Amino acid sequence: MAFRLQGPAEAELTRTGDRRNEMSGELLAAAQRGDSAAYSAFLHAILPFVRSLARRRSWSEDMAEEVVQDALLTIHRVRHTYEPGRPVEPWLAAIVARRAIDAMRRRGRQSAREVHDAAAYETFADPQANRNEAGEAAETLARMMAALTPRQKEALDLVKLKEMSLAEASAASGQSIASLKVNVHRAIRKLRLGQGGEAGE
Amino acid sequence: MSARRTEALIAAIAADARPVKPLAPPLRRSLATLGLLALAGGLAILLFADIKGLLARYSGREEMMMPEMAAMLATGLLAVTGAFFLAIPGRSRRWLWAPLPPLIAWIGLSGMGCWRDLAREGAAGWALGESADCLVFILAASVAIGAPLVWRLSRARPIEPLRVALLAGLGTAALAAFLLQFFHPFTVTFLDLGVHFAAVSIVIGAMALANRRLLAR
Repeated sequence: MAFRLQGPAEAELTRTGDRRNEMSGELLAAAQRGDSAAYSAFLHAILPFVRSLARRRSWSEDMAEEVVQDALLTIHRVRHTYEPGRPVEPWLAAIVARRAIDAMRRRGRQSAREVHDAAAYETFADPQANRNEAGEAAETLARMMAALTPRQKEALDLVKLKEMSLAEASAASGQSIASLKVNVHRAIRKLRLGQGGEAGE
Repeated sequence: MSARRTEALIAAIAADARPVKPLAPPLRRSLATLGLLALAGGLAILLFADIKGLLARYSGREEMMMPEMAAMLATGLLAVTGAFFLAIPGRSRRWLWAPLPPLIAWIGLSGMGCWRDLAREGAAGWALGESADCLVFILAASVAIGAPLVWRLSRARPIEPLRVALLAGLGTAALAAFLLQFFHPFTVTFLDLGVHFAAVSIVIGAMALANRRLLAR
């Protein structure tokens, strides 16, 4: 929409914009001729303008920076379409606007396909990623095992972990079958209570 | 996507500052392309056209046929020129609508012409002429006109290839339909007209579908 400028402040603003346009235009024209330093100066000079346009059309800072980078790559690809002598800002604004629309479409497609799962942050497919949780669990288990008597530990180890029959376990440990049964039962009860205590903490 | 990566990107881009030749203004590029097409079209008309047939078909109906052909030509010229403008970032997007008035005039005038024939000739006005030939002609001429046009437009690597392709498709089809008038020895009926517009739609649709592949290389 066209608007009429009024007052010296607005006129000064227009002059500043014009000067910026002219300066950037000259730098870009030099870049078209292969001047790398002028190109770098041009890209740095337009960055705040490009960034502000990108922010206006983005949902987040991340997305704005993605738009800025896409726009910079496009500027590089189509720098031959800038006509020396013409204002740079409309040319830049059209490129940034286009890349912002593309980014929005891309994000729209992603959010349509992906589901937000809060639990996904708590466990990961890669076992290495779960090391912290596994470490904590091992410590808890070790603490609970330390609370068992040596005979209870032995009974639990032979009957439940090594899966021996009561007769085999009795022969291996020297404990009577009845004593093994009692020790296994007490060990499991103690572990359960210990776990409950942990969970209640 | 940090600001630091943006800085690194700027450094990489600036290091790749190979010289590029700025494109000529879009109007000049459009006129050059249209001039080339006019030359080729004029040569084809001079060598192969059925001018006598055209004049016989026109006799007594000049006041209708001339504006119709002018509308076709204007649609083609404005659409092609618009495509050159839209291929450049920051140029007026109103070019997208520039060919609309002559396009409406073209459709309206062709329809009226057919309606008059229908009123004059009765059922014969519905007959299918040699429409299959027209379809083939428009498609073949569109390939001949569209190929150099797409090549010229693709040099700008348009950032909005779909809009450019739509206008290029319309321009190509309109110029092909204009050329067809010189090779069309019979009166157009409603069904012929339908075939003509089907051919135009095929050309526009094909261009629009292949927009990125054709233009944004």
